[in-house]
Amino acid sequence: MTRYIFSRALSAIPVLFVVSLVTFLLMWLVPGDVASHIAGPDATEAELEAIRQRLQLDQPLHVQALHWYANLLRGDLGQSYLLHRPVLDAVVERLPVTLSLACMSLVLAVSFGVLLGVLAATKHDTWVDQVTMTGALLGLSLPDFWFGLVLIFFFAVGMGWFPTGGYTPFAESPLGWLRSMTLPAVTLAITQMGVIARMVRSSMLEQLGQDYIRTARAKGMPRGLVVFKHALRNALIPVITLVGIMTGLLLGGTVVIEVVYSLPGVGRLIIGAIQSRDYPIVQGGLLMTAAIFVFVNIAVDILYTIVDPRVRHDR
Amino acid sequence: MRDRQSGKSTSVLGRAIAVAAAMLGFAATSGSAQVAGGELVLAQSANPPSLDAMTSSSESARNINMNIFEALVAIDENVDPIPMLAKSIEASDDLLTYVFPLREGVLFHNGKEMTAEDVKASLERYREMGATRGMLDKVKEIEITGPYEVTFHMSEATPTFIEGFSSPRAPAVIIPAEEAAKPANEIEIIGTGPFRFVEFVPDDHVTLERFDGYVPNEDFQGATGFGGKKTAYLDRAIYRIIPEAGARVAALEAGEVQWADQIPVPAAKRMMSDETLNVYEARQWAFMTFIMNWNLPPTDDVNFRRAVLYAIEPEEVMAIATEGFYDLNHGWQYPGRTYNAGDIGKEIYETAHPDKAREFLAQSDYAGEEFLILTDPNYAEHSRAAVVLAGQLNAIGINAVVKQHDWATVLKIRHSDEGWNGWTLMQGLEPFLGPYGMAAKMTGDKTHMRGTDPVFDEAYDRLITGKTVQDRQQAFADIQTAIYDLVPQIKLGDVGRMQAGSARLKGFRPFRAPRLNDIWLED
Repeated sequence: MTRYIFSRALSAIPVLFVVSLVTFLLMWLVPGDVASHIAGPDATEAELEAIRQRLQLDQPLHVQALHWYANLLRGDLGQSYLLHRPVLDAVVERLPVTLSLACMSLVLAVSFGVLLGVLAATKHDTWVDQVTMTGALLGLSLPDFWFGLVLIFFFAVGMGWFPTGGYTPFAESPLGWLRSMTLPAVTLAITQMGVIARMVRSSMLEQLGQDYIRTARAKGMPRGLVVFKHALRNALIPVITLVGIMTGLLLGGTVVIEVVYSLPGVGRLIIGAIQSRDYPIVQGGLLMTAAIFVFVNIAVDILYTIVDPRVRHDR
Repeated sequence: MRDRQSGKSTSVLGRAIAVAAAMLGFAATSGSAQVAGGELVLAQSANPPSLDAMTSSSESARNINMNIFEALVAIDENVDPIPMLAKSIEASDDLLTYVFPLREGVLFHNGKEMTAEDVKASLERYREMGATRGMLDKVKEIEITGPYEVTFHMSEATPTFIEGFSSPRAPAVIIPAEEAAKPANEIEIIGTGPFRFVEFVPDDHVTLERFDGYVPNEDFQGATGFGGKKTAYLDRAIYRIIPEAGARVAALEAGEVQWADQIPVPAAKRMMSDETLNVYEARQWAFMTFIMNWNLPPTDDVNFRRAVLYAIEPEEVMAIATEGFYDLNHGWQYPGRTYNAGDIGKEIYETAHPDKAREFLAQSDYAGEEFLILTDPNYAEHSRAAVVLAGQLNAIGINAVVKQHDWATVLKIRHSDEGWNGWTLMQGLEPFLGPYGMAAKMTGDKTHMRGTDPVFDEAYDRLITGKTVQDRQQAFADIQTAIYDLVPQIKLGDVGRMQAGSARLKGFRPFRAPRLNDIWLED
């Protein structure tokens, strides 16, 4: 197992290298530069050139790339052009917002998605199945942006149960944190909940038709035990893989949610940096997000070997 | 004493400004009694890139900084310069010396008293790193001529110097000398304003609180513009950064914020019937303009540019671009302002002249090539205007094509001669501040149209050196005449800005940035 974990961790290095290289090149390929953004629409070419020199943007691309990787090896993600502070600090201080949003959404999506999927499978071809799956399809189809504003309108402006936006750190007020994260997490979770519910349903239907389930029932085992202990455990194996992929989707999905709910997270930071061509923030932010995604997927792979021993034995 | 030292007498201009400073001013606000205390939450769309007021010309920074910092000179409600930290402004007859006696007893937020040392250090820092340091180009030397007095020695007479110096774009604020020694964006946020900085959580909020040691300017009867006698009633103000317009509206309607900027027009119209809210119309917020590139065919041809000018129906463009919140104005200054040039160009502007446009098109060398309209979606007014303009130009036989990029890319393209012929741009602060910023965009090496004509250079020179207001008004009238003849830019109309606040918020009047002084929250 240790060897397996070690080999999976090693495999992350080339992935992250490719991510960093692609990010670096993409940002230099897109038109526009930060000098124009800093100087504004009235700047002269001389003023722009002075800014580029100050930021060392006039250096050849390979020199800048070498500089970026040399700093990266020392754990330095560079200095933001516009925030006037280290990239690492800017990203790390926003990570709690993004991670808590993604985690809370994941918990909601998995809990309710699995529950709805099991319900639909066990009530196969009944109105419960129909309603549940229609709801799942609706959840899948709703644009995050629109759904977020609808929730704000009803539950924040109308009912006053939640704030319309903003973030309260957990350390400051656990209840405030919960209130500030509930609507964003529900908005983000709704799509993934639909995906999970549909997957669990089909996976459960497959398992419920297997011989071992028929045998268990024939032995007089209680229905709940058959469903939750035997069928669900096996039906969850593909869902675990999905959760790994979903982590990436959730991290990406936070961008829109952070804007709608005015949350000071990494997604909003990166989007702002792309718009203003603050390259170090984009490169550093994406690299850290990719690293989280890669390591979550490694963790999922490891979890997979625990849930399904066949994977471990195959190796 | 001062005049003896400088060997020059105080000018009429100087006396006029000093007297006006004493006479001007407004009662804080009439009506209901002011209530001290309370916390005001404001919503704005963008993060301040920096709270180092000298180095940032962004609106989101100005909204906050104008309540923390003060300069020697400010603008009043009519955008005329008035002394702020200066007691008065005394100019010599030849305009080569300006003496600024300072108000005594003014405290910084760290408790230290402001002296001439701080003023000199701040202004020297501004000359080095101020975002609009060009306004001090004509200042040869800043001399400390007393513990509470500084004197500017000018390299040449510039009658409009004080107007430029009072600009709030990136204000030449006064900070403690020890802070002035620090690099850009590394200072402690310490000013002399009625509110002091507490914290900045990027992308979330900025908190200010009332500075109890604030020393109001007793030369005025009340607050005016960014100056006058300011009174702080609120205990605390929190600027929340809410980028999404719908979320700002929701926060206001839910009572989480008591003032919000950039309210979409449809939402503002809905709010007008809500008695718990007040909607503020800042009508003179920006000029919607269409800028020509003089260095790329077909817009290098003056007859082609005239064809474009005559083909445009401004009302249609403005109605669609602004969702109906606009004023038609042919002038390159707002109505009622000192330098408004009257009816020059009005006839051309008022409606489209398709026949005349076709006539100019026939006189030009235009052969059906693409007319590239550069625009961006970051400011929805820009892209909507571009689409309408393309339709109107297509109608007279111009092959207009809209090229939409994000704002950063547009700025990059606009700095080159290639890739664009026309560019839709809202210009906000320049027209608000007067004629100089607008005229400067048509002369020298900073022109929007990537070229110039001697007529602009000559008239601009008269505008900034004209000894009397009449001389300068004539110079600006000549510039407006040339704009309608040579077409460096096309005026489409005036764009307003909608703001809204809780009905509990009293005393608020829209200005170029929300002023925290002289407003209060009723219970």
